[in-house]
Amino acid sequence: MKRIFIAFTLLALATGLKAQQTDTSKKAGGKTSSTDSLLNSMSSDDKHQDVIGAFKATRLILSPTTTTVKKNNLNFLVIHRFGDIGTPTGGARTLFGLDAVNDVYIGFEYGLSDNLNVDFGRNTIGQLIEVGLKYAVLHQKMDDSSPIAITFLGEYGVRPYGSFSSYSARNSYLGQAIISRKFTSALSLQVSPIYVYDNTAIPDIAGNDKGFFALSGALRYKVTKHMSLVVDYEHPFSSFRTGANGFSDPLGFGIEVETGGHVFTLNISNARAISEINSLSNTQADYGRGQFRIGFTISRMFDFNHHEKWKDNK
Amino acid sequence: MKHILLFLLAWTTIHQAGQDTYVCKNVKVNMYSSAPIEDIEANSTTGVSVYNSGTGELEFSIPVRSLHFPKSLMEEHFNENYIESDKFPKATFKGKIQEHVDLTKDGSYPVTVTGDFQVHGVTQTRTITGNLKISGGVVTMTSEFMVKCADHHIDIPQIVFHHIAESIRIRVSATYTALKNNNPSK
Repeated sequence: MKRIFIAFTLLALATGLKAQQTDTSKKAGGKTSSTDSLLNSMSSDDKHQDVIGAFKATRLILSPTTTTVKKNNLNFLVIHRFGDIGTPTGGARTLFGLDAVNDVYIGFEYGLSDNLNVDFGRNTIGQLIEVGLKYAVLHQKMDDSSPIAITFLGEYGVRPYGSFSSYSARNSYLGQAIISRKFTSALSLQVSPIYVYDNTAIPDIAGNDKGFFALSGALRYKVTKHMSLVVDYEHPFSSFRTGANGFSDPLGFGIEVETGGHVFTLNISNARAISEINSLSNTQADYGRGQFRIGFTISRMFDFNHHEKWKDNK
Repeated sequence: MKHILLFLLAWTTIHQAGQDTYVCKNVKVNMYSSAPIEDIEANSTTGVSVYNSGTGELEFSIPVRSLHFPKSLMEEHFNENYIESDKFPKATFKGKIQEHVDLTKDGSYPVTVTGDFQVHGVTQTRTITGNLKISGGVVTMTSEFMVKCADHHIDIPQIVFHHIAESIRIRVSATYTALKNNNPSK
């Protein structure tokens, strides 16, 4: 019995010494010490994080993005669409449409939480007032446990002016599921199935659909850290809104510049209307006829979050 | 009985190495830059650090995404445009304390640490001064130092409104606990 204990004691001492020996030899080697491996084991590689910045702005040219305004932030938006660059109303006489303003949107988006936004805005076309809710249901993760981000958007639009048969005839509704993926640090894509319902068909022509599905696709490509190219396209699946009836699919190209707090988008599009309800319902402007225009978006983010003060560990 | 005691004594020597090792799993880091419009400040509390009092080795690892800014947009810009946290998720420091500090004596000791400081994938050998405080066996380290953005290839774009300074002040504070066992996995 004694011998066994002594043997164990020696063994224990030996392993202890050996452990220390390997420790020091590693340290002499320099790079991988026990301190290193301990640090590595403590610092978890947290790959299960949200992918950030798929889109800089909450809106591109025509479409909203999966990006939401963060909690206690207020995004102020001013969006313009000028007159036709070509056609008799455009050309040098109107400085390629800059003298004419087709549509102006002034609106706000507020973050009730990081994922839930409420928005409010007013358009020149149809004097359309919009109120909406945007909810980010799924975020893209760095480890691809969720390869895409999904945001739902619901908009209610009302036209307070003009002659309508009833109050409800002034209303329009839009529901949209925005699906995006940031493929590389430069390239983000999104597709959005949309449903639009206008209580009065826009334009109000016999045979026009009140309700219809639509699909939009958008691309953002970062050229520099602060500048991106944006392409935005929409297609309404409406049997009435065809080329033969004078309708075109809205298509926009833009340059997006973000400067910390501000995002500016300078774009060219055939759509005269800014609101998706309007642009999907009624885009009767065609690139081939010179009916495309300069537009811009200015977005300014205000943050109402409080500042945390630094305290040393005591 | 005597032998059991002897055995236990031998056993504890194995774990002696562990008693030199101190760890901190909630390193506080503060980043501050004075800027013309508003000062920019971010805080993290989830960095980790290991200190070996025997060899003087001192290491830090800070997940960059854990630095939280009061303004979410600033945080996004910081991660995406400045520090590029998707490519360089961690800021690390691996160095050695130059002075020998007797951890059994309470007090506050100024220390100098020399080692590799890695941010944005660029490593710089730095000598950083700090303070080591011992009170009732609890080790706390604090330090304040400046980091030049240019040293770590962090470009400051000209057009941004949140214009940051060329040098960022970093404050670190870590309270250590002695590592109980020698098993580094937990």
